[in-house]
Amino acid sequence: MPPSLLQRRLHFIVGKGGVGKTTVAAALALLLARRGRRTLAIEMDAVGRLPTLLGGRGVGYVPTEVAPGLHVLSIDGRAALEEYLGLIIPVKRLLSTVFSSKLYQYFVAAAPGLKELMTVGKIWYEATREEAGDLRWDAIVVDAPATGHSLQYLRMPQAAREAFGAGLVQREATKITGLLRDRRTTAIHLVTLAEEMPVTETLETRTQLVETLGLPLGFVIVNRVHRRRFSPGVLERLHATATAPAAERALLACVTERATEENGWASINETYLGRLRAGIGDAPLVELPFLFVEEFDRSCVEQLARQLEAGVAAEAGSAARGSERGGP
Amino acid sequence: MTLRELIDRHRVVIAAGSGGVGKTTVAASVALWGALGGRRTVVITIDPARRLADSLGLEILGAGERAITLDGLAATPGSPRGSLVALMLDQKGAWDALVERHAPAEARPRILANPFYQHLSQSFAGSHEYMAIEQLCVLVESGRYDLIVVDTPPTRHALDFLEAPRRIGDFLDRKIIRWFLRPYFSAGWSALRAMNRTAGFLLRRLEQATGVSALAEISDFFSSMSELFENFQGRVDRAHEVLRGKETAFVLVSGPEEQVLGDAEYLSTKMAELRMPLKGVVLNRVHREFRPRGGRGLGGDVLGPEDAEQVAQVVARAMGGSGRDARELAENFLDYQALARGESLRIEQFRVGLPRGVPVVQVPNFARDIHDLATLAAMHPYLFGSGRAAA
Repeated sequence: MPPSLLQRRLHFIVGKGGVGKTTVAAALALLLARRGRRTLAIEMDAVGRLPTLLGGRGVGYVPTEVAPGLHVLSIDGRAALEEYLGLIIPVKRLLSTVFSSKLYQYFVAAAPGLKELMTVGKIWYEATREEAGDLRWDAIVVDAPATGHSLQYLRMPQAAREAFGAGLVQREATKITGLLRDRRTTAIHLVTLAEEMPVTETLETRTQLVETLGLPLGFVIVNRVHRRRFSPGVLERLHATATAPAAERALLACVTERATEENGWASINETYLGRLRAGIGDAPLVELPFLFVEEFDRSCVEQLARQLEAGVAAEAGSAARGSERGGP
Repeated sequence: MTLRELIDRHRVVIAAGSGGVGKTTVAASVALWGALGGRRTVVITIDPARRLADSLGLEILGAGERAITLDGLAATPGSPRGSLVALMLDQKGAWDALVERHAPAEARPRILANPFYQHLSQSFAGSHEYMAIEQLCVLVESGRYDLIVVDTPPTRHALDFLEAPRRIGDFLDRKIIRWFLRPYFSAGWSALRAMNRTAGFLLRRLEQATGVSALAEISDFFSSMSELFENFQGRVDRAHEVLRGKETAFVLVSGPEEQVLGDAEYLSTKMAELRMPLKGVVLNRVHREFRPRGGRGLGGDVLGPEDAEQVAQVVARAMGGSGRDARELAENFLDYQALARGESLRIEQFRVGLPRGVPVVQVPNFARDIHDLATLAAMHPYLFGSGRAAA
């Protein structure tokens, strides 16, 4: 039995563009750090919003502490490759000749997935880094790029093993693949919305992750769920308010419209949550509520971290009850 | 100019924007508008087939052109009924077709199996995007369509699409390729190694890192494909010509969220730099704000959380019954107000940064799935000011 999902060390947050991966990654990192684990949140191949959401500024290629026990790091594939080559070619002057050569630029652009491999390699490095005989990080949360690109990254070590028949890269790739596939260490969490396209894509991604790549899955996290329901009776009574004073009628019409809108989303969410559950079987699923705010800031991340914690606990509870019922 | 005039006056409309903003839906809706207005229209996507197919109410969309039946939707009175074709780009297929056209027959199987080729055709940054543009050029030249709508790929940075021709042009730069074609390259770089100690050291390290076969494969690929690459710059120039042409309009699709608008702003700046000017903006999934016009103590022109009690009272008075329902309704209303308020502030700011005269339209956040022609047509009043006439 692998350790429970939150106990694992390496968490990847994967999902379609626009479903809120970065927010969920920030919430998970915050939650783990609050539990006293030395946590590193990693942003891949772009300077996005993760550091800002966690309260960091000027985060770069070196882990920066943004809160007690919580560090953030932005990985750029090119920088990762240069760092790696720095390890193979220890002479500084030579190294700068290499980086400025057109051949090198070309090679980086062309070599099958070298940049992606090095990005994942950097994550591997952080995940296995030791300090004074102890692992440097208890938990690493990776905010991965949109699904298609994520799969490209996660596939890369395997692809590199095949493309580079021998040599250092091949040996590195083998080590990395081993770590990614280890269910004692790694969990790939899928973030989605309870809407048609994200759910369909999530189910497909899941199949690919498991069947093609053999990677260990974590939670399916359904973001921005609408839960309010207004009964038809209530809405009818609102409709019947045409007798209200003229000045209030516009407001009342709008109140009705928003209630209908909320009902609409709640019903769409319910339908696709159903489809999602049917598709993922008994895999753990956690729902996060839609947050109605003017501006999405750090306090929202805190709120989602608490919701995530509650959701994970509820999920664990229901799984335990389920196994009692279904057990021998 | 309105968005309506913009679409009417351009032959090529390219929907750009970051992932998850509803680009595919907007592109399909614009194409439907064109077809209902009597134009021979095609919409291209390189998304997984399912999405565009879904929004057009088709079961499935394979590679190749697929005609969409417009039955049940009325054309604009007086205009001939146009036609609508959906086209899914199969980028692997498009690369393979290039190989078929340009590589000597005996070399083809070797190229197709070459790992370096597979990387280039499947995952080289910009290669999907480039192939979409290549396909666009072919359609423009065919003269078979009056309106071509392109749904750009869901790259994290939509910029990849705009820069694809340049990037692939640089990548396939003839001078560099010739360099790769030199015999010492395929001979394991040993000649070069002997030439220069520094280079020799570097190459030994690279070989150690990647294995000798990778370098040989790159060289083999280029020598087999040399004829194609000789002509490549011409194709890249042609692609730029189409993208920058007078007949082409870039329409930016964005959502009202902070991050998405930030990406959109960046994209619009970059477009100007690349001389692919932005001509229209669609803000999709926007929440509408209610603005009271004075009266009954609901003064001012903004309703915020501080008005919760008052709104609840108005609702309770109108509904009668328990105050609980009224409070919940008021709370829900004010929640949506907060969303809408934040969005409208961000949108105002965003508009300030746009070039002058660029039309901006807002499409509300419909609480329903959009997956057939009728729901696509329901977007028309928001995009174009009115729908096509009813059936």
